[in-house]
Amino acid sequence: MTTSGKDPALTSFEAVAGQEFDVVIVGSGVSGAVIAKQLGARGCRVLVLEAGSGNEITVADYEESVQRFYGSQRKDNNSAYANPRNAPMPRDYETRKLPPGASNTDGYLVQMGPLEIDSTYTRVLGGTTRHWEGKALRMLPDDFRMRSLFGQGRDWPLAYNDLDAHYRAAERELGVAGDVEDQQYGGLDFGPGYVLPMRKMPLSYLDRMIARDLDGMEVTLAGETFPLKVRSTPQARNGVPNPAYDEGRGYKPVGAVSTHQEDKGERCQGNTNCVPICPVQAKYDARRTLYAALETDNVQLLAWTVASRLEVDGATGQVSQLEFKTYDDPDAPGHRVGHVRAKVFVLAANAVENARLMLASDLPGSSNRVGRNLMDHMYLLTWALMPKPAGALRGPICTAGIEDIRTGAYRRHQAAVRYSIHNDGWGWATGSPYSDLEHLVEHENRFGAALRQGLIDRVSRQFLLDCMIEVLPDESNRVSVDPRWVDQMGNPRPVISFGATPYTLETAAFSRRLSRRIFQRLGAEDHTHYDPLAPGYVSHGGEGYVLRGGNHWAGTHIMGTSARDSVVDSTQRSWDHPNLYLAGAGSMASIGTANTTLTLAALCFRTAEAILAGLGTHAPAAATTGARA
Amino acid sequence: MADMLDGFLALSAALTGFTGHRLRGTGQAEAYLATATGIVGEGVMRDLLLAADEARASAGGDAAKHEAELRRLIMSDDRLGPVARNIIRMWYVGSWYQLPKPWREAHGQSPRDHDHVVSPISYTEGLLWPAIGANPAGAKPAGYGMWAMPPRIAPG
Ligand SMILES: Cc1cc2nc3c(=O)[nH]c(=O)nc-3n(C[C@H](O)[C@H](O)[C@H](O)COP(=O)(O)OP(=O)(O)OC[C@H]3O[C@@H](n4cnc5c(N)ncnc54)[C@H](O)[C@@H]3O)c2cc1C
Ligand code: SF4
Repeated sequence: MTTSGKDPALTSFEAVAGQEFDVVIVGSGVSGAVIAKQLGARGCRVLVLEAGSGNEITVADYEESVQRFYGSQRKDNNSAYANPRNAPMPRDYETRKLPPGASNTDGYLVQMGPLEIDSTYTRVLGGTTRHWEGKALRMLPDDFRMRSLFGQGRDWPLAYNDLDAHYRAAERELGVAGDVEDQQYGGLDFGPGYVLPMRKMPLSYLDRMIARDLDGMEVTLAGETFPLKVRSTPQARNGVPNPAYDEGRGYKPVGAVSTHQEDKGERCQGNTNCVPICPVQAKYDARRTLYAALETDNVQLLAWTVASRLEVDGATGQVSQLEFKTYDDPDAPGHRVGHVRAKVFVLAANAVENARLMLASDLPGSSNRVGRNLMDHMYLLTWALMPKPAGALRGPICTAGIEDIRTGAYRRHQAAVRYSIHNDGWGWATGSPYSDLEHLVEHENRFGAALRQGLIDRVSRQFLLDCMIEVLPDESNRVSVDPRWVDQMGNPRPVISFGATPYTLETAAFSRRLSRRIFQRLGAEDHTHYDPLAPGYVSHGGEGYVLRGGNHWAGTHIMGTSARDSVVDSTQRSWDHPNLYLAGAGSMASIGTANTTLTLAALCFRTAEAILAGLGTHAPAAATTGARA
Repeated sequence: MADMLDGFLALSAALTGFTGHRLRGTGQAEAYLATATGIVGEGVMRDLLLAADEARASAGGDAAKHEAELRRLIMSDDRLGPVARNIIRMWYVGSWYQLPKPWREAHGQSPRDHDHVVSPISYTEGLLWPAIGANPAGAKPAGYGMWAMPPRIAPG
């Protein structure tokens, strides 16, 4: 299916400034888009403010991003996107190793350390899902009860079961391809008979090669034995619809976002380029949801506009209005300042930007928790050469992983972890295949047939196993602002302080040991090494590791049961400001071992219901937003 | 420069291990010849092609001898070796990389001698991917589910 229809409802500074809406949403990423769509469908008048360009909703503009990617020498994970000076974004190559006590102010993020993190996000229409990878796993029931079960981190003010219907709604919205049969571990429960909208992505040749030798290997951790198994990874990318979905009604994949009919956005074709951009729009990005929101005719979009300050009524705590800055030229200085009023405000600018905006508005919260408890997954990468050509650099980035150790009693002592098998070779760790070509040409002095054979031996056999490690909420890990560091518009830049605790590092060490065993079992040649000069280099127990950022910023407006130690309640509503919701991964009280987006999308479905109830519009029953087969 | 194209393709075939026919099929030969010549100058390019002719002639069809001659006359030559290696890079990943500092100091600077992708198409025509039976990330996908099959690593 192709989304088609009229031109998207882009509105203008003049039409908006000084006006009042039912709901104003900051950010057109998946968080903002889900809420906008749900509210627009119920007749609420919604305005979405977006810091990035408004053009990119059409296929033509999307093509421009694809061409920008092809033509860029440095194919970093934001290389498909311009970096406007008026709404800047982090780039991973800005990260540098910080000497003790030093900071790095070169990029958009001001990094105070001690651990510099190379995570990014994207300030464009549709937000960071434009270049996300699309893994869409649920969190485990245990993840919601970290304090009660393991004496670590925090409990959520809601349980896994409270979110089940919203998870279903999110799986429908994002279009998740996966087989529930492969997800039977760690207490995961999808409810009887439930199936995901599309069948799993076929496992890669590499996955199968690994499964053949690895399945059944046993790992003992804190006295508990886990048999390992290669399992398909649920992901938000178009595959083959499952006819059993929705009680046999099936599922119609959503295609490319366009104002014209376009023959794009069908099945994933294996471009291996989900990050930074899928050329055929087989991968979900939030423009799909946003477009559906705009099609309700109740939602308007003001792009090229940065929300800059929330103003609060001192007596009631209500947000009275929002200040924003609209620019004409993405890079040249100059903007107009406007204000907008609403019954309800929603910040959906992501965990870093939501906190930044609150703090820039002098709203640290009565608990002083805004910006604190910053979490992100830490990735330890391990890599090896398979004994035979394994078909690297083909297919979606990951089609399978090892999930069996995602929870267990060991979490009393060390962080949870899941592993992904990479179909894209060693690229993330070493800059392959460019670095391999360089090595073969410049150091091994190869050319001609010997060069071709060298590439087969060295690239096609590549296997990278990423270890995605949980990080607990810790109040000293935080986003803050500082008047010394502002962007061109005068908005404070995010200042990041972050460190890894022994709880996380213990699992990094464990994972390195486990990867050695896995490589031994596969007969793979271990090439893993960690450069002490690389950003993210840490020592633990006498060994060095490089930790990479997970791009899963979370925790900065943490959810809890009271205003004393949390920022929002279980509907993402601010304790201090009754007409303000802070939406997205910033609300998460733990991140477990699931990439955050499916969970934050589920939370946003929940928030839309709360907003509708508060506005006196009857909320859709949860049961109708999910699907049972 | 048109007269240089055949020589350039013959040299490129020897350097990349792909046939001249396959190289021509990428549609990039003219762009790579122009990029390299524009940066190193016609003199260097002509010498490089002459050296390639000489290597081929003295090998007389013996592949091992041909390779040895290329090493002797081109790959180990201070002036020609770095240019030949950059031609390999262009064919494999579509990018020109800045020549090494000693080369620039000895043989001249060019304002165009910096890391750059020759054209958006040059990236998608990169030979590195077909060499291992894959596709350049983001282009020329093999189709749904093809990643489940063994890689097809074809000569050519
Ligand atoms: C390389 C990479 C790979 C990833 N892979 C995965 C994955 O496989 N699975 C997964 O679950 N997650 C993944 N993620 C994370 C995922 O992208 C995010 O969780 C998700 O996009 C967050 O959605 P959001 O709407 O809350 O925020 P965003 O997507 O960041 O959207 C925020 C929006 O707000 C706008 N905005 C920001 N500031 C302002 C302002 N002041 N005024 C107005 N607008 C503003 C931005 O321009 C943007 O459009 C990945 C991220 C990266 C970077
Ligand atoms: S593998 Fe390719 S076609 Fe599939 S989602 Fe990723 S980029 Fe798109």
